[in-house]
Amino acid sequence: MILGALLALPFLAYLGWLVWALVAYPIPLGYNLRSLWQRKLSSLSTAAAIALVVGIFVVVLSLAQGLSVAFVSSGRQDQALVLRPNARFELNSTVERDRMRILKVHPLLKRDSGGESMASAECVVVKLFPQWDGTDTSVTVRGLEPMGRTLRPQVQLVQGRWFRPGLSEVVVPRKMQRRFQGMELGRVLRMAGREWEIVGTFEGGGSSFESEVWSDVEDVMQAFRRDVYSVMLARLETPGRVEGFSQAIQADKRLQLEVVREADYFKELTKAGDPIKILGNLITLILTGAAIFAAMNTMYAAVAGRTKEIGTLRALGFRQREILASFQWEGIFLCLTGGLLGSGLALFANGIQTGTTSFDTFSDVSFAFTITPGLMAQGVAFSLIMGLLGGFLPAWRASRIPLTEAMKGG
Amino acid sequence: MNSDRFDLGGGEPIITLRDVAKSYWREALEIPVLQGIDLEIPAGAYVALMGPSGSGKTTLLNLIAGIDRPTGGSLEVCGHELNGLDDDQLASWRNLHVGFIFQNYNLVPVLNAFENVELPLLLTGAGRGERRDRVEQALALVNLTDRMRNYPRQLSGGQEQRVAVARAIVTDPDLLVADEPTGALDAKNAEEVLALMERLNAELGKTIVMVTHDPKAAHHARHQIHLEKGVLDRTVEVNR
Repeated sequence: MILGALLALPFLAYLGWLVWALVAYPIPLGYNLRSLWQRKLSSLSTAAAIALVVGIFVVVLSLAQGLSVAFVSSGRQDQALVLRPNARFELNSTVERDRMRILKVHPLLKRDSGGESMASAECVVVKLFPQWDGTDTSVTVRGLEPMGRTLRPQVQLVQGRWFRPGLSEVVVPRKMQRRFQGMELGRVLRMAGREWEIVGTFEGGGSSFESEVWSDVEDVMQAFRRDVYSVMLARLETPGRVEGFSQAIQADKRLQLEVVREADYFKELTKAGDPIKILGNLITLILTGAAIFAAMNTMYAAVAGRTKEIGTLRALGFRQREILASFQWEGIFLCLTGGLLGSGLALFANGIQTGTTSFDTFSDVSFAFTITPGLMAQGVAFSLIMGLLGGFLPAWRASRIPLTEAMKGG
Repeated sequence: MNSDRFDLGGGEPIITLRDVAKSYWREALEIPVLQGIDLEIPAGAYVALMGPSGSGKTTLLNLIAGIDRPTGGSLEVCGHELNGLDDDQLASWRNLHVGFIFQNYNLVPVLNAFENVELPLLLTGAGRGERRDRVEQALALVNLTDRMRNYPRQLSGGQEQRVAVARAIVTDPDLLVADEPTGALDAKNAEEVLALMERLNAELGKTIVMVTHDPKAAHHARHQIHLEKGVLDRTVEVNR
């Protein structure tokens, strides 16, 4: 952290000086912009290379962002998951029926208008489903009680009806229909030796529930031969009550269960995006090196081609630091052009659905590329850094050519 | 005062060189270009520096214009001891006191005539309105008012050199230095540029130091200084 700050300090100081130079120094910006335009071919090809890198950078960030949106919008601060200690994830957790009975009548749980405690006993399993691309991937199948739907208001039925207990019915997310075969309304899924009719389609507001097939909890347990639940999801009166509930559950020796705030649980799951991020960052890093080299090469060529011009400016009275700032800004503008272009191009990826397998839950997580203005700004800032790094050495060279040499044209 | 000093007579000197020397180093080998130059040029003079290639005339011009530094001796130009100025001070000094006219005009191709002439004024702190007035005056003086929005590629060689002359005088410097100003021009345009320089000297009182190979160009000057192998050979007063 401190090392990072120490490294960033000269960089920021230099950037600050450049901004000041932009205002205070007399070489007009138009000179640099027109010079870039004069070398259209090399400027545009370099800007295109930068655009590609920035586009990839923004898309990689948008993957992480999409995944984060999926998980963050899934969890609430005033709800808690009760799991087996150290299970960490629903799939690993078991809660026996007698313990579930105790849990569901816990006095700290919120009650709905009918006086029923707002808690849902749930069973989570995974099942392979075929995708349209011909590969199979694991999908979470969640058995839940009717209250489970109330606890997830972001999930809305958009077609058909909700499943009924005892009839082996399922509802599927609309997004999954685009990625998986045989998910249309009225079709039949084969799971655990049974046939399950798809009776409804739902949307989940971008949450991770849009990666799950839902059915009745008892039907799922019966079909998958499970005699224990996986978890209980419950709502408390206020977010502040979650800790008290957790302490109460831990103190109850009969239960030996663990309470996790639902929002925190899903935050932990966002780590599913880490492999994508690492791979994306690695690719971005390699491409960034190439893009900086391209910018540097273009700017070195610009300096070499304008040596006499630099000599003339110096002879007229422009100082070395003014030449440095001028050529540095030229490099920055070159890269910023690419940055703006790349960020704009990344917009085409916005909303495209994709999925990844979570190594925590061993199941598919559907999410959308989410290009936000913030991410686009990061892309532009990234191109600014490329401009600074790629433009510095050529600008330094421009400012340091001995005057007599420069006037002869190098 | 050195008895061999070349003194062009006239008024107060604007350029004084005392035992100026300039050498270049190629690895361990010292290559002397100028040696023992003692010279006084009065304000308002028009001097042509002549000599064969390699005689050191461009080097001498660069020293006088503050483009290069001597390896020996001292220079006082426009009231400033140039040896005592650092690079930034020298850059400011050039901007204030020296106007440059180059053989190949050295206009910035992406700037139009107006913007090229305006360049040295950007360093003076003059406001936009003042800059516009002065650029228009300078371009009027070289008879290019109607070409001020043209880019160098849209101008003839003679017009480009006249823009360069306008750029050289726009800050109203005391001294104009010109390195082969007619070297890239045909006879007609060369004559026009030389006539213009003569006017700047005669009417505006600018001191001009011009390097040239061309005896016709040199004939426009009032004095010719001949260099030979890095030393001053002789001065000739031109009778016009």
